[in-house]
Amino acid sequence: MSCCVTCWQVCLFRQHKYVSLASKISIIPGHVMVFKRSIPAFSIYFRGELLYRKAPYPPTESQYGLIALVSVLSLQMTGSNEYKLNQGPEDSISAVKFSPSTGQFLLVSSWDCTVRLYDVAGNSMRIKYSHLAPVLDCAFYDPTHAWSGGLDTQLKTHDLNTDQDTIVGTHDAPIRCVEYCPEVNVMVTGSWDRSVRLWDPRTPCNAGTFTQPEKVYTLSVAGDRLIVGTAGRRVLVWDLRNMGYVQQRRESSLKYQTRAIRAFPNKQGYVLSSIEGRVAVEYLDPSQEMQKKKYAFKCHRLKENGIEQVYPVNAISFHGVHNTFATGGSDGFVNIWDPFNKKRLCQFHRYPTSIASLAFSNDGSTLAIASSYMQEQGDISHPEDTIFIRQVTDAETKPK
Amino acid sequence: MGRKKKKQMKPWCWYCNRDFDDEKILIQHQKAKHFKCHICHKKLYTGPGLAIHCMQVHKETIDGVPNAIPGRVDIELEIYGMEGIPEKDMQERRRTLEQKQESQKKKQNQDDSDEDDDDDDAPGPSFVQQQMPAAQPQASYVPPMAQPGIPPGARAPGMPPGAYSGMPPMMPGHGVPPMMHGMPPGMHGMPPGASGAVPHSVPSTSSDPPKATFPAYTQSSASSSSNPPSNTVAKPPATVTSKPATLTTMSATSKLIHPDEDISLEERRAQLPRYQRNVPRQGQVHMSAPPVAAVGGMMPPQQGMPPQQPGMRHPMHGQYGGPPQGMPGYMQGGMPPYGQGPPMGYQGGPPMGMRPPVMSPAGRY
Repeated sequence: MSCCVTCWQVCLFRQHKYVSLASKISIIPGHVMVFKRSIPAFSIYFRGELLYRKAPYPPTESQYGLIALVSVLSLQMTGSNEYKLNQGPEDSISAVKFSPSTGQFLLVSSWDCTVRLYDVAGNSMRIKYSHLAPVLDCAFYDPTHAWSGGLDTQLKTHDLNTDQDTIVGTHDAPIRCVEYCPEVNVMVTGSWDRSVRLWDPRTPCNAGTFTQPEKVYTLSVAGDRLIVGTAGRRVLVWDLRNMGYVQQRRESSLKYQTRAIRAFPNKQGYVLSSIEGRVAVEYLDPSQEMQKKKYAFKCHRLKENGIEQVYPVNAISFHGVHNTFATGGSDGFVNIWDPFNKKRLCQFHRYPTSIASLAFSNDGSTLAIASSYMQEQGDISHPEDTIFIRQVTDAETKPK
Repeated sequence: MGRKKKKQMKPWCWYCNRDFDDEKILIQHQKAKHFKCHICHKKLYTGPGLAIHCMQVHKETIDGVPNAIPGRVDIELEIYGMEGIPEKDMQERRRTLEQKQESQKKKQNQDDSDEDDDDDDAPGPSFVQQQMPAAQPQASYVPPMAQPGIPPGARAPGMPPGAYSGMPPMMPGHGVPPMMHGMPPGMHGMPPGASGAVPHSVPSTSSDPPKATFPAYTQSSASSSSNPPSNTVAKPPATVTSKPATLTTMSATSKLIHPDEDISLEERRAQLPRYQRNVPRQGQVHMSAPPVAAVGGMMPPQQGMPPQQPGMRHPMHGQYGGPPQGMPGYMQGGMPPYGQGPPMGYQGGPPMGMRPPVMSPAGRY
């Protein structure tokens, strides 16, 4: 949508790394960067897409201006497929979720204690409400009700039409996940108090508390089943219609802490990611034959000077139609994978900092990418937290 | 597999002996790995093409094809995909493949199921011995080693013919790219454990391990072994104890970009003093020096301290008298504002004494 021309920054271009000569300021996408390679070509990149290239000799100084102008104009005319949301949260983003009925509205929860609703098409913030402490997750019950919970342990629901809050209940410790199960019509929350609680969204009130072996780190709904990922790499599968017992107890097939779990839209299985740059695809059917099909692969790793940097994979989101999924890691990359053919379909350009959350819209045409530093390396200065909205194409998300 | 008349059935790269599903992929691989200019990263089409490019554009000579195995670095040979491979090498490859297939078949005939890659029948070792002279370690290889850890490790040391021919059933070569990025670096990164095992296993990767690589890879990671934390026995699972344990370190060539404690990133972040004050003015991300050092210093004391949650309960006892040194409890509103500025010196000491009592689970809202 809007792009601006920065001053002529002369940088050494290294493939896929946009590093300025002088320091490690990461270059925020959205600006036209004029790169001058050591030799032998001169190219202009905009958010990782090459706009203009001249080789082997760079243009003269006087030509720079014209070239940049032309590039910017051509971009504005064709429109970019990605833009930043305005009035973003003031601190890291913990979760982004699209409305179940339309890709127009996006709910965003943040460490600045607010939950915001954005009109993505118009790129504006519609509603904002607050908690007493950072909010760790949010979810839509229906297009007009948002639910959220966080460090203040309160589960709140907000009516988006009347802009009214209600406190539904609490946990004994911060709430880490909030999800909705449409098949059973129940809201599910998971918390660091080692419990999962169900809530009836209509009344609204508590519909049960179920102890887990460890702190809940992530959960996902598959049909009428609930998959819970806890500390200690445990994975539990519950039947939401019969919470008297755990349907399946498993151990994560990855050796490191579980970061995220997302169920396949076809409910056959789930994808699990860890902090160690690895993703596993597992199936729910406990039969030997299905269990043989499970696999894992490494991803979100960068090789630098002989040292491999391994990043946590923080976010997973499924494309509702194609059953392919996107993963976002702390390396700032988003990859799209085809789990059935076991291939990577696409990798986007690198975002300014870690990807904290991803969400596909219900029709799969839009991907919301929350780029927020997650303190992997302590409290250091980092690029600002932004949400990118990207229109994705079939070429990027459809199995080949 | 299919028609025997194809030149070797599966396209393979002459420079590094790797197998591929498709010639197109093979060519992409060659362009990216062997025909890429190290100065400007331009992908050329052939070895001689690369040499000429470097000479003309950068005025530099190159003496060999990058990333090629020794013996295959000849820059003068014009090889594109499968074309141009000298007949001698073709035959050698065919022979190696046949040998491998035979040994694989024979092995298979002996097990009842193809799922178990852990077989160690007597006929196996001696049998294989006939064909692959160096296969003795077969026996040693089979029982102990974290096998699935091995094939990846073994692949690098140039024994891919075996590893790769088995691969395709599992993972189409395309699927491998995600692996592959991981793999080659994984190679080097492949922990000392695996590398220790590699010498044993290298010759014996001929048989089923490659075929079972993928499931075995995950099964093994599900069951016991290698991969990154091979040098330690106590795996992260052992951390289901009161203390947030530290992560087992990875090998020297891999670095995990994650704080050391095995708690989630959100938990760790919630322990930061600015979030414990419960005031929604968290805009200041750049707290600068004191917090950085403080947080670093704070972490260790905190680990020892909270039995269960690193500070996620609300103690509710206004014990704070003191400065907000990470009063780990979360205060729900109504807490007396500290009136102390952010850069509080973090003495891990005094609060230590304070905290444990505070951590009573009875804290309710």
